[in-house]
Amino acid sequence: MKKDSKRSLRELIRLLPNSTYIFVVLFIAFVAFIPNFGSATNISSLIGQAAILMILSSAMSVAIITGGIDLSVGGIVSLVGVVMAQLVGHGMNDVMSILLGLAFGCLFGLVNGIVVVKLKVAPFIATFGMQGVAYGLANTLSDSRALYMPDEGVPVIKALQTNLLEWMFPSGNILTISVQVLITIVTLMLLILFFKKTVFGTYIYALGGNREAAKLSNIRTDKWNIMVYVITGLLASVAALLMLLRINSAQPTSGDGLEFQAVVAAVLGGNYLAGGRGSIPGAILGALVVYTVRNGLSLAGVNANMIMVVLGIVLVLGMVMNEVAVRGLSFGDRRKK
Amino acid sequence: MVEFRHITKRFPGVLALDDINIELKPGEVHVLIGENGAGKSTLMKVLSGAYKQDEGELLIDGKVVEKNSPIISSSLGIGMIYQELNLIPELSIMKNIFLGNEKKKGIFDDKKYMYQKSKEYLSMLHLDIDPNTLVKNLGVGTQQMVEIAKAISKNSKVLVLDEPTSSLTDSEIKELFSIIRMLKEKGVGMFYISHRLEELYEVGDRVTIMRDGTKVGTYDLNEIKMDEMIEKIAGRKIENLYPRNRIKHGDCVLEVKNLTGKGFENISLKVYSGEIAGLSGLVGAGRTELARAIFGIDNYTSGEIFVNGVKINKNSTGEAVKAGIGLLPEDRKIQGLALKKNIRENMVITVLSSLGKKGVANLKKEKEVCQKYVDELEIATPTIEKLAGFLSGGTQQKVVIAKWLMANLKLFIFDEPTRGIDVGAKSEIYRLMDELVAKGAAVLMISSDLPEVLGMSDRIYIMSQGKMTGCLNHDEADQNLVLTYAYNQTEEAV
Repeated sequence: MKKDSKRSLRELIRLLPNSTYIFVVLFIAFVAFIPNFGSATNISSLIGQAAILMILSSAMSVAIITGGIDLSVGGIVSLVGVVMAQLVGHGMNDVMSILLGLAFGCLFGLVNGIVVVKLKVAPFIATFGMQGVAYGLANTLSDSRALYMPDEGVPVIKALQTNLLEWMFPSGNILTISVQVLITIVTLMLLILFFKKTVFGTYIYALGGNREAAKLSNIRTDKWNIMVYVITGLLASVAALLMLLRINSAQPTSGDGLEFQAVVAAVLGGNYLAGGRGSIPGAILGALVVYTVRNGLSLAGVNANMIMVVLGIVLVLGMVMNEVAVRGLSFGDRRKK
Repeated sequence: MVEFRHITKRFPGVLALDDINIELKPGEVHVLIGENGAGKSTLMKVLSGAYKQDEGELLIDGKVVEKNSPIISSSLGIGMIYQELNLIPELSIMKNIFLGNEKKKGIFDDKKYMYQKSKEYLSMLHLDIDPNTLVKNLGVGTQQMVEIAKAISKNSKVLVLDEPTSSLTDSEIKELFSIIRMLKEKGVGMFYISHRLEELYEVGDRVTIMRDGTKVGTYDLNEIKMDEMIEKIAGRKIENLYPRNRIKHGDCVLEVKNLTGKGFENISLKVYSGEIAGLSGLVGAGRTELARAIFGIDNYTSGEIFVNGVKINKNSTGEAVKAGIGLLPEDRKIQGLALKKNIRENMVITVLSSLGKKGVANLKKEKEVCQKYVDELEIATPTIEKLAGFLSGGTQQKVVIAKWLMANLKLFIFDEPTRGIDVGAKSEIYRLMDELVAKGAAVLMISSDLPEVLGMSDRIYIMSQGKMTGCLNHDEADQNLVLTYAYNQTEEAV
């Protein structure tokens, strides 16, 4: 064991997802060159903004490690938000509304899983189609309008929206660390715990790394693969709740483009689209990178459309990086295996 | 422990196993040997439940196995160690050993128990590695040991080792053999498939020789000599399947000088126009790698290639085709044909630009040319618009041949041209090859099918473990001699 701990620091650094370095470098550069980027207000709002994407990119990471992908997460964020808001709007108690919304997200994921596993539709296509279904339903259910939370009768939602710092230090605080951030941290910790300490994580890697071997080892691969999409559905629903809390309303377009950002974040975190390798902490850091880029560039006055261009380039670079990490630089080498 | 009774298995067009009877005793290492395609792997797949036999029965521990599957056979104590490893690279040794069989405390993994147990299994195999090491960081030999540890952890009573030594170093092989002996003492029975004859005597008790899906016989390894075994492995008479009109060969078309690359070293050979040169050897001898390097798919590190006396400078397939080389790959379904395209589309791909005009395809011309080749090669198809995937193996091979014929080549490299093709189609392909060389082309034919090599070749090159071990003229070659070189049993090669 002693030998292990000696090695562990170097091992740890080696095992860090490559998004770590990008994050550290970007962060320092932005603090140095972009005025106001390093201010406490900005950092705390950056974390608040990134929270939702952290959850979505973790979900994406789970799907990607199995060799799949879930492009419906953005749609689920919109749809589940609308469902929760409609339930509250029809006078349902807010806790029940939230729970039903989460259950609905799981159900949506279950459908994804069944279509992928039992009907053998490629995950990319299946979840892409379901994304359309989700956006369409969200627009229908909300009549394409924003659904605002009522001011009264939703005590739990109000409680979840409080600023923790304000609650602890009541006198004139300008910083915000909201309960939403707390929810995010707890969700991610539970996910990582689940991943590390139960067979779930092992089987996820087995599904993506060598499905044939997993089958031969008596693992019910279909069941676990469906479960993956249920979990991404659940996580996307948690993200929907956070979105609802943050903007105090549900908008049928609130999830637009989030699946793209989640893929960018996951890929930056070393998640390899062919499956079998990648990590959740990597995807979380990837989400931080994405928001650092967005936040930093918009503070620097870059327009929002250009930021999308940059993120697109970042995605491609991330893929190249993963490819290099796996095979080393080898141009034109087309060996069989 | 395991008994095969009258096992018969048919694949479309092939009788893969014909009435096989074999019995495995406790603590016995039972060697299975035979040429590629003799049926060894098919038989083992019947045991593992990957295939179901058409006739006959399989007994494990004296009981007939009515319904078999990989999961059932594993629960009956059959452990398979495949040639390609079945481990998850991103997981630790411990997690791989217990994959699908995890010990849990509540919903959480009982890591302490699994760690301890893994350590025990590893030390049983004389391995001093931390079970938390990721499998991707291990060498191939160690990965194989992890597979064995996995089999032990499931209390397997029967192990199937399919070419376990093919990727191991000498010291790893020694280690493996001592483990096999230890398992024997514990009463574990083993089927051992290998091409390396010399090692059989070291670990094996009995040997069953298979040929063309039939059992030649089971022998005590103490009582059978190696040359006797080689004779029995090869042992069939060459019928007049091979229509060769051997002609005097012309100029040298291909010359390879001291070529070294991944999987082969210091290879020199020459192929003349009007000649079929056979390239023989066992699987893994480096023949395919050599062919891929000649055709410019893979790089070589040193050496030279000349076509018609002109040196090929750039290592690319484009250059190779321009110089007049065509490769008919071993796996035609993956590398030779687009299965979801029709015959015409497959055939014209090499000449598409010359048939059309300014980048626009000329469908009428394409159809004419294709029909001509379909008629000439007697390709059995109702229409040239039939999808390649629906053709039989022999017909597919003819389409690939037609594709290269159109391109007007000087040198054809055939890699296992008749694998998986029935006898009728085989002889037609042989006739085509003969016609090719009669018209002045040169052919380099890689084949593991000995009678084919002997029947068709003018000259036979033999490779073993990446090196050229022999070159024989067709009149001096016979099966035993070729096999002796292929198994590298000559004194110069140690």
